[in-house]
Amino acid sequence: MTKYNIWFFSSLLIASIVAFPIITVFLSFFSDTSDYYTLLKDTFLFEYIYNSLIILFFVVLITFLLGVLSAYFVSFYKFPFSNFFSWSLILAFAVPGYIYAFSIIAFFENYGTAFSILTYLFGEDNYNLIIPKIDGIIGAILAISFSLFPYVYVLTRASFHYQSNNYIEVGKNLGLSSKESFFKIILPSARPAIFAGLALVSMECLSDFGTVSFFSVNTLTTGIYNSWLSFDDLNTANQISFILLLFILFLLSLEIYSRKEARYHQPGRGFKPITKIKLSGKKAFLPFIVCTLILFVSFVFPVSQMIYWTIKFPKYFQDINIIKININTLLLVLLASISIVIISLFINYGSRISKSKILTYLTNFSISGYAIPGVILAVAFITFFSNASDFLSENFGFESSKGIFIGSILGLILAYFIRFFSLSFNGIKSSYEKINNSIDESAYLLGYSKVKTFLKIHVPYLKINIILIMLLIALEVIKELPITLILRPFNFETFATQVYIYASQDLLEAAALPSLFLIFWSTILILLSSKYILSNKN
Amino acid sequence: MFENFFEIQNGNFTASEKNKVNNVNLIIKDQGDIISLLGPSGIGKTTILRTIAGLQKISKGMIILKGKILSSANINIEPEDRNIALSFQDNSLFPNFNVIDNINFGKKRVNGNGSFLNASEIIEILHIEPILEKFPHQISAGEAQRVSLARSLLSKPDLLLLDEPFSNIDQNLKDEIQVSVKKLLKRINLTTIIVTHDSYEAFSMADKCGIILDQQLKQYDVPYNVHHEPNSIEVANFLNKGVFIDVEIIDSECAVHKLKHAELGEIRGKLSNKLPTGSKARLLLQPEDLIHDDQSKLKLEVVDRKFRGTNFIYTLKTKTGVHLPVSVHSHHIHQHEENEKFGVQSPIYIDHLVCF
Repeated sequence: MTKYNIWFFSSLLIASIVAFPIITVFLSFFSDTSDYYTLLKDTFLFEYIYNSLIILFFVVLITFLLGVLSAYFVSFYKFPFSNFFSWSLILAFAVPGYIYAFSIIAFFENYGTAFSILTYLFGEDNYNLIIPKIDGIIGAILAISFSLFPYVYVLTRASFHYQSNNYIEVGKNLGLSSKESFFKIILPSARPAIFAGLALVSMECLSDFGTVSFFSVNTLTTGIYNSWLSFDDLNTANQISFILLLFILFLLSLEIYSRKEARYHQPGRGFKPITKIKLSGKKAFLPFIVCTLILFVSFVFPVSQMIYWTIKFPKYFQDINIIKININTLLLVLLASISIVIISLFINYGSRISKSKILTYLTNFSISGYAIPGVILAVAFITFFSNASDFLSENFGFESSKGIFIGSILGLILAYFIRFFSLSFNGIKSSYEKINNSIDESAYLLGYSKVKTFLKIHVPYLKINIILIMLLIALEVIKELPITLILRPFNFETFATQVYIYASQDLLEAAALPSLFLIFWSTILILLSSKYILSNKN
Repeated sequence: MFENFFEIQNGNFTASEKNKVNNVNLIIKDQGDIISLLGPSGIGKTTILRTIAGLQKISKGMIILKGKILSSANINIEPEDRNIALSFQDNSLFPNFNVIDNINFGKKRVNGNGSFLNASEIIEILHIEPILEKFPHQISAGEAQRVSLARSLLSKPDLLLLDEPFSNIDQNLKDEIQVSVKKLLKRINLTTIIVTHDSYEAFSMADKCGIILDQQLKQYDVPYNVHHEPNSIEVANFLNKGVFIDVEIIDSECAVHKLKHAELGEIRGKLSNKLPTGSKARLLLQPEDLIHDDQSKLKLEVVDRKFRGTNFIYTLKTKTGVHLPVSVHSHHIHQHEENEKFGVQSPIYIDHLVCF
């Protein structure tokens, strides 16, 4: 097979699509500095970085504690409802940070839900004085932590799960106590998984836009957004993006490194699952209460808050065209998941049959899109297409083509593609790699053409995996905020953008209904794919 | 009509710098012949099979089947158009189909022309009945090999290629399956190339056996000749059956040839390759060549004894320190301990005198 075939060019095309936001950001860093940037450098930029890092530090700390502790309990002990907790703890994935954020506000604000509960229980009084005000940085830290801790939970739990009982038995045989086995054997061997989980949390945390924007905390992401929206200064937006990307790239390499390490802990032959220790009575109380609290605070609390408000303010049922939003979201979900999965299959198949090294490099590069924060991606997207359109009309007299990609469904899907391609590509790849190469060759030798082999052997094998990947993309698209917000067509609302718009207008009660729908669909998607998520394939 | 059923002309086969075989000339004259390719692991045997199947390109030369060129510098027929079946050494079953469906995949190529076998017969011969409904991940490596073999057989190929087909099968089942598969191949007149590193398998299954060593096809002959008349020191060493001792050719003209060894004395037999009288040579001495005789005057010292079930292999030492292997039937009345003296029948007579 020749080197430069259809597989090469399609991979090259996809790699270039993923590359252009990164390249745009890098190029603009060296372009002329606007006045606003100078101003920013002297005043706000430092604050942006400071706030981002402070939030990052505490989020990492809290997600570590929540994730590792809960994973430890459900992996090594049997206590009341331990099986229930082992899957229900990932439900927190259904509540995006920005929805969590306004649950917190709604609960703790003056005359908020906490106030109502206290009044109901103890009669009227000025409870506003004793109810703590959780907002600003503290609120952002809590909201982000509770919505992201499942990353650490899932990876750590999987690592504990795949740890063979043999190690623990060997430890005991060598005379270690249970406590010593935990600190000397179990925890160290789960370390790469925990690191990978924390690296993911860090990337998501730095990329977070909705939550910090809601609490009016100035971070790098809100800085990018405001430069674009309030000051119409794409250059500055891209320059702040550059700084944020440097942090992200560092975390990304940390994550890739940790994942590589974690691979050494896959089960091999002679794998014996861990025998869980049964706890009863007082001993069972601690893990039970810890898991209940985490589940309650991370999932039950925001959901109840949304239900409470939806019921309390029924008038928004009429005000919000919820059917339209459902249809819009569904449209995006279907278009994105189908196109992303089809392209991932195509590229996976291409690199499988052409076995070219360049192709591997290209695809490896293409999957780096997931690390680019949504805000950066969207702003770079706009920068790139405005510049390209201007260039074409100035030099070749083309009509402005901005509308094709900016503020269009096509542009939105393209941006989702850059962001979620890796999720889909890697998910299919991990399953594809299990099909031995000699299986393809056997099919050829039995008279099957390449296309027939793909359709008759590969697709049936990958079927379940493909459906799961589509569910996961759907989940991501539903929750995605900044890309949708910035690139969506005019007046085209999804749950996420509707929530954001109401919340930014201080119409918190109105935001409850779309939030509830968002959580509802996300929960269903999580339940459908929970087995896959928990098996840590991604 | 074609002159030879299958032919490789000056074939170069390359998988990597280390793993290649050059200048292979190999002919299978008649349909239904079984040949084996024998050689150490990683030498390039599998590469040859993959190239014949069309999964790799030939580096130089030509592969011809039934008079039609399959591979050459300019021609490379796709594997799906060759009608050659290859049963892989490792698991190549389709993971999402159960055993019976996997086997039936073989039938699809035949497209209603009818296989020369029915599935139930091959299933019985290969002992697959108990696992028909199982999925590939639920069966053992040996079972997977048998299923893969069944699938290949059912596809009614012109040429069957087997890559270490019995390597994972339990020893007690292996012998039985080898016999029945050979019978079956002969009955349906299916030309087969078997790649193996097991010389017993190569000798027992094949009509002709090729030895691949040092990136070359060193010898290609009937198994009897390969064993008794290896054509080079390398082949003899690879088959690892004996030792070489220095001899002098006393007489290579008479009906019975005579050699002489300084300590063992006269050795008689038939030279497999002609050497002039008076010349010096190295003679291959295999364990079955020397015969134990307690009455003999020729005594050597025992340095080691290995029990091999049906026989003992004694290692004897001459006065000058040459080690010689001797096989003795294990029913032999008494055993000799280390450092004891051991009688060897003299003069020595060896049917095939292999000298280089």
